[in-house]
Amino acid sequence: MKYETVIGLEVHIELATESKIFCSCSAKFGGEQNDHVCPACCGMPGMLPIVNKHVVDLGMTAGMMLNCHINRTTTFDKKSYYYPDLPCSYQTTQLFAPVAVNGLVDIETSQGKKQIRIKQIHMEEDAGKLVHDDWSDTSLVDFNRTSVPLIEIVSQPDLHSAEEVIAYLERLRSLLRFARVSDCRMEQGSMRCDVNLSVRPEGSNVLGVRTEMKNMNSLSAIERAIEYETARHIDAIENGTEELVQETRRWDDLKGKSFSMRTKENAGDYRYFPDPNIMPVVIDDEWFDSIKATLPELPEVKKARYMGELGLNEYDAQQLCDSRALCDCFEQAYAVCGNAKEAANYLISDCMNMLNKAGLTADQLTLSGAGLGKLIKLVTEGTVSRPNAKKILAALFEQDVDPETYAKDNGYIVSNDTDLLKTVVKAVVASDPKTVADYKAGKEKVLMALFGRCMKELKGNCDPQTLREVLIEEVMKA
Amino acid sequence: MEKTTLISLEKLNQLRLSDEQRESVLAFFDAQQSRRAELERIDTENVERMVHVMPIMTVVREDVEKKLFTREELQKGAPETVDGYWQVPRLVD
Repeated sequence: MKYETVIGLEVHIELATESKIFCSCSAKFGGEQNDHVCPACCGMPGMLPIVNKHVVDLGMTAGMMLNCHINRTTTFDKKSYYYPDLPCSYQTTQLFAPVAVNGLVDIETSQGKKQIRIKQIHMEEDAGKLVHDDWSDTSLVDFNRTSVPLIEIVSQPDLHSAEEVIAYLERLRSLLRFARVSDCRMEQGSMRCDVNLSVRPEGSNVLGVRTEMKNMNSLSAIERAIEYETARHIDAIENGTEELVQETRRWDDLKGKSFSMRTKENAGDYRYFPDPNIMPVVIDDEWFDSIKATLPELPEVKKARYMGELGLNEYDAQQLCDSRALCDCFEQAYAVCGNAKEAANYLISDCMNMLNKAGLTADQLTLSGAGLGKLIKLVTEGTVSRPNAKKILAALFEQDVDPETYAKDNGYIVSNDTDLLKTVVKAVVASDPKTVADYKAGKEKVLMALFGRCMKELKGNCDPQTLREVLIEEVMKA
Repeated sequence: MEKTTLISLEKLNQLRLSDEQRESVLAFFDAQQSRRAELERIDTENVERMVHVMPIMTVVREDVEKKLFTREELQKGAPETVDGYWQVPRLVD
């Protein structure tokens, strides 16, 4: 018999805010244990939450990016569960009126294009972190992450393979990073995924027994887990190897197996109720419109524009459109220099190299686009040589300097002194008769050695074409 | 409500009721459920969902990070701490 896998995802996204969702503590990743905490996020009695406006901004932004309906009156609810990483013994989340509902996300796989329905996006607080200490046989609690703002994006069970799941997650990541909702760094836990999976005979519209794998944080692990879990379900159905029960399972990527954690809770077990401490959040027209006005052009629209209007090839356009920061820098640079190809080249090769060396991602680029544009103008006008442009770019990468001023201060302006050029070339030619003889004998490549030495003597401050012409002239005279 | 559901709720709420208490609680829930059934007979089609009894909305704050307390201040009342962590009895999930 042929089977169909049915998958729904719950994706947790940590929002790009400075402070936590209900208090002013830092929401930054890391830090010394319990250094980003206050009585509110530690759940001390009498402390009341105050909603961070930017969390609602980002919740709405995510909803709009995923084509959702935005609930103009959105409310918070309490979800009860006892665990020491949750100091209030409840999580403040949204059940009855989440910020966004009924969305659609386009994905593309080897099977073609498809739309995945979004059930809802709700805002909520993260839990803390537990460290189990074997030495003292105790657990240690760190509340830094408690109350860090999250959105949870709940899809309908529209996904049917690991390939579709990966395409969906990559699409979410691209859209949300582009809209600056989150950095979506799976390795830091700012994007985590719960996979709900069941299997049914192909053609059936009755869902099978559903299992949930929680907190998956790597695409490759998700792919392996889906393949394993699908095979386990089919084996249980066909061969009766085990009884399938609705439960939460843990994926062990090293062992390549999933293990039962606990029987799956139902909504009733969490005893949700409206949070009496937080009044409804009402999104008026002005607030709604202000968020709508900040939505970015979608990556694929940008890519088409870069290729169609600016003449970039597909590779360059795609590289830029992988990151909003690269796109913003590129567009600012292009506005100044009017040279799309040069701007793309500097960003994709030189800037990406510098980011990699600094251990940063493209989204962490802070280079001034206007500065890059000015630098490209200096290069294309012949005021600065390409080798020296790289040195200026490195300075621009570190600090917001004016490229022209920096070039002047550091002696990087191309010299128009032809007498100096000829003197240097003559000296280099006179010092190396063997290379000169080789060139005259037909070994044209050796000219580059002489060219390089001249360039070094001139500290890069000459027009390469002029240097080449003078060099050939002097070599032939020698 | 079934007795098994109540036992499950007891577990969730970390309570242990006597049989007598269970009977009393079950009778209470039965009464609540019949009231709820009465309410559900009311036609609420096209009635806007009420989110609060008063026409009131929350205040929001700007996203500004502030450090108002030190770890030491917060942990003054903690029974046990280790290296800045709160220490609690071992948990096995």
